[in-house]
Amino acid sequence: MLIPCPHCGTRPVEEFTFLGDATVTRPTSLEPSSMDAWMDYVYLRDNPRGDYTEYVHHSGGCRAWLVVKRNTDTHEVDSAVATKTMKAKT
Amino acid sequence: MHRVSSLQTIAIQGRFGADKGAPGVTLSVVHPLAIAMVIARNGKSKALKDALASLKSVNVLWAGPDQYYVQSAAKSEAALYTELKTKLANIASVTDQSHGRITIRISGPKARAVLAKGTPIDLYTDEFPVGKSALTQMAHVGVHITRTGKDEFTLSVFRGFSESFWEWLTSQAAEFGYQVS
Ligand SMILES: [Zn+2]
Repeated sequence: MLIPCPHCGTRPVEEFTFLGDATVTRPTSLEPSSMDAWMDYVYLRDNPRGDYTEYVHHSGGCRAWLVVKRNTDTHEVDSAVATKTMKAKT
Repeated sequence: MHRVSSLQTIAIQGRFGADKGAPGVTLSVVHPLAIAMVIARNGKSKALKDALASLKSVNVLWAGPDQYYVQSAAKSEAALYTELKTKLANIASVTDQSHGRITIRISGPKARAVLAKGTPIDLYTDEFPVGKSALTQMAHVGVHITRTGKDEFTLSVFRGFSESFWEWLTSQAAEFGYQVS
């Protein structure tokens, strides 16, 4: 699988570290009542077959965090965008 | 004070590997070298580029998004660091890396062939022209590579990896014959 890093160009998957789903939102509350939301965020992740958007670190290259859209079934990579250039989720 | 390279006792000068004809590559340790890592503050990419372009007697190498290695063989590490700290105040963060990294020069007709064994980067001249730098991995070691001539590159690695990287590099060069100078 080849990933088109916006800084480095197209590089093989061996240079990257995968973190996981980039579409989930981190809970903001630290209250005990938000435990379920944290449980969901930290542990209960989907493992979809098909389109997937995830955080990827170019650890063996420019060390930038990227958001990569790819297909877990066909290994087709749709896009790779540097998180630094994205708007923060509100 | 005399600075000792981490490859001082490892990079022994001489001719090694295949011994027929001219050596395929020549390896040398670029030492001593003053090195500083420079990272732009938020929104200061352009200001940093302009400031770096006005510096004299230094090499400015791309080292990631809004990040550069500034190198100088002519200036002392303290002089380079102090100069950058002053000139880049409020534009960039500066870290002295002179003792943190080791730079190896590889040149010769087989330089590209040796490096191609380790990196997925296309080192063909059209894709990777003189002056271009890239960050990659060779033998699981993070390498900052710069083309300095048609058949000449510099490789920079963390000094802690220098011995094992040297061992890997010389193993790859052995089939072509190599000179350490
Ligand atoms: Zn990259």
